[in-house]
Amino acid sequence: MTVPNPSQSQMPKGKDVAKVAVGGKTQGRIVWEQFRKHHIALVGLVVLLLMYVAAAFAGFLAPYGMNEYRRTPVSAFMPPTTIHWTDPETGRLTRPFVYEFVSERDPVTRQRVYVENTDGARYPIQFFVRRPNQTYRILGIWQSDLRLFGVEDPARVFLWGTNSLGKDLFTRILYGGQVSLTIGVLAVWVSLTLGLTFGVIAGFYGGLVDDFFMRLVEVLDAIPGLFLLIVLATLLKDPRNPLAQLFGLQMTSAQTFLMIVMVLGFVSWGGLARTIRSLVLSLREMDYAQAAKALGASEGRVMFRHLLPATASYVMVILTLAIPGFILTEVGLSFLGLGPSELDSASWGLLLRDATARGVSIQFVPWLLIPGIPIFIAVLCWNLVGDGLRDAFDPKKRR
Amino acid sequence: MLPYIIRRFFHLIPTFLGATLLAFLISQLVPGDFVTQRALEPNVRQETIDRMRAQFGLDQPVLVQYVRWMGSLVQGDLGMSFSSNQPVMNVIRRPIQNSLYLVLFATILLWLMAIPLGVFSAVRQYTFGDQAVSAVSYFGLAIPNFFFAQVLVLGLFLFRGFTRETFGYSSLLFPVAGMTSNGWENFTPWHQFWDIMWHMIIPGFVIATASIAGFTRVLRGQMIEYLGSDFIRTARAKGLGNRSITYKHALRPAIIPFIAGIGALLPSLIGGAGLVEIVMAWPGITPRLLDAIQRQDIYVVLGFLVISSLLLMIGNLISDLLLAVADPRIRYG
Repeated sequence: MTVPNPSQSQMPKGKDVAKVAVGGKTQGRIVWEQFRKHHIALVGLVVLLLMYVAAAFAGFLAPYGMNEYRRTPVSAFMPPTTIHWTDPETGRLTRPFVYEFVSERDPVTRQRVYVENTDGARYPIQFFVRRPNQTYRILGIWQSDLRLFGVEDPARVFLWGTNSLGKDLFTRILYGGQVSLTIGVLAVWVSLTLGLTFGVIAGFYGGLVDDFFMRLVEVLDAIPGLFLLIVLATLLKDPRNPLAQLFGLQMTSAQTFLMIVMVLGFVSWGGLARTIRSLVLSLREMDYAQAAKALGASEGRVMFRHLLPATASYVMVILTLAIPGFILTEVGLSFLGLGPSELDSASWGLLLRDATARGVSIQFVPWLLIPGIPIFIAVLCWNLVGDGLRDAFDPKKRR
Repeated sequence: MLPYIIRRFFHLIPTFLGATLLAFLISQLVPGDFVTQRALEPNVRQETIDRMRAQFGLDQPVLVQYVRWMGSLVQGDLGMSFSSNQPVMNVIRRPIQNSLYLVLFATILLWLMAIPLGVFSAVRQYTFGDQAVSAVSYFGLAIPNFFFAQVLVLGLFLFRGFTRETFGYSSLLFPVAGMTSNGWENFTPWHQFWDIMWHMIIPGFVIATASIAGFTRVLRGQMIEYLGSDFIRTARAKGLGNRSITYKHALRPAIIPFIAGIGALLPSLIGGAGLVEIVMAWPGITPRLLDAIQRQDIYVVLGFLVISSLLLMIGNLISDLLLAVADPRIRYG
């Protein structure tokens, strides 16, 4: 049995002492270092970044325009295109190519089926194609017609099949990310603004003001959220509603988008306001808040400069964990057809709506369910990032 | 106890008034009123329209209308449905019942699945099984309810294709749409009951999965905390068996927050049920609500909002009372 060396176990070495004294880290730095050790959360963050970049550059990554489709030859409900990697004659690896498809009727089920025209020409997949008649804008600023990949007419490449009109699902899913990935992030800010403001005011003033806001939260809580959302979204979308007529609004897709953001935020600020209120209730009795008051700081200054920042770490975690909820709600609303309309956007929920449309038998068109996968991934990753942040902020879980 | 119940009950009244006022104000966003639609019919004269407006009080200020509507609401009268010309109560009763069946079934299913899972991961902390449970619950958290339902429906169809080819068995394993089979009216009551249960399995399972994740995670944390506490050590020292310690001593206090959570669970379950109802063609609240909004049948919409929020508040009240019964530490004097 060895006796531990006293100089090692009891006394910290001089070097370490200096390090502790000098190494003052900012809160953000500590949190980031903790977060980096959380590997799964880090993976979530990277995947999310990739998804957002893909949505932003949807025009470049997608081979077709969002609403591009051709009536002839018909391409409705076309299954994902097979890409051939090997030469069918020699069996050797070759440049990836596709064949043209011809539509036929299945003699038994009378379903339309697409058959590869293997006798016809091969159409190699080309990279960095220019399509001058299909331009797009990236982030609404840079106009371009360069596409990552494509094939020459008349062949077409539908990586994930097509919908009932023959629009390319891969393209629409990329564009759909622009709606589904951003609405949640924006709605969180609306909910945050309302929740923080009302929560701080209620907690700071107490008494009647507090009672009023807390009863308001209870009232909002008393109506099932989904029903409130459905009713609000439908009625506000109607161009004949009194509010729209008052302001002469005819909702464009962008306005519907904003409306959904507002409605989502409006319905959901209650919980946040309640927690912030209880935090502020204890914070306002703290010495530093009393000191600020004694030094003559105005009420607004005490509330928003001294009390609110103290809730920041908590709010950040709540915020991150609220985003996936908002994404799910938006997707659900779009699934009911209450989101931005079909023509201007392609929310993932709206794409999934096609799969339960009347006259669609899902077993024949299973690829219509693909838009659910990015929803799942996005929500999963936001949850992972949120959990990682929560652990990173929690001093008890420091590693 | 009784004074507590009564006080809690009276506490609900202002909230209920507020909720109905909010619902009523929102209903004012509906373009025009139902008489506007009548006015478009060529054989209706202007006098008739004015008379109808006066009769229904539509020419009065909003607040007066609200008070009138509230007055009849208190007497249990929710008004008339314009589109089907029946009392609103008759129109909304069935859908609300159907939704409640589904939500109740889902809640039971949730408890049946989540409690064993939570206990399992707490007892086998950090094992492969524990990690598998937490991974699966992350999946349940992230998958949209309606998408999961769609995937299950597809899975059932694919499975039917498989059984048809291998065994020649060509009906679906579970029903994928609706609440009853054909000819349900002629079944015996017992058979009717089983038929509905049979139809509830897929949608109920889907709704339950959404809440399993949170439930299991919290139960696991609670269980771990209690299993490490002093009274468990005492119980072990007395020589109690593992089973008795886990299920009698640790699980009982650990389950208390969930009893309180039933009330909070209801809105999310009702909401979560909504989209699944659409996918599975369940004749519940949400499909009828969407329908009523499209027809601008304001009183039906209001009826749904009011009755569902009433149910919600009663659910909260019941869970508070259950909590007071289950947890002797809670004072309700």
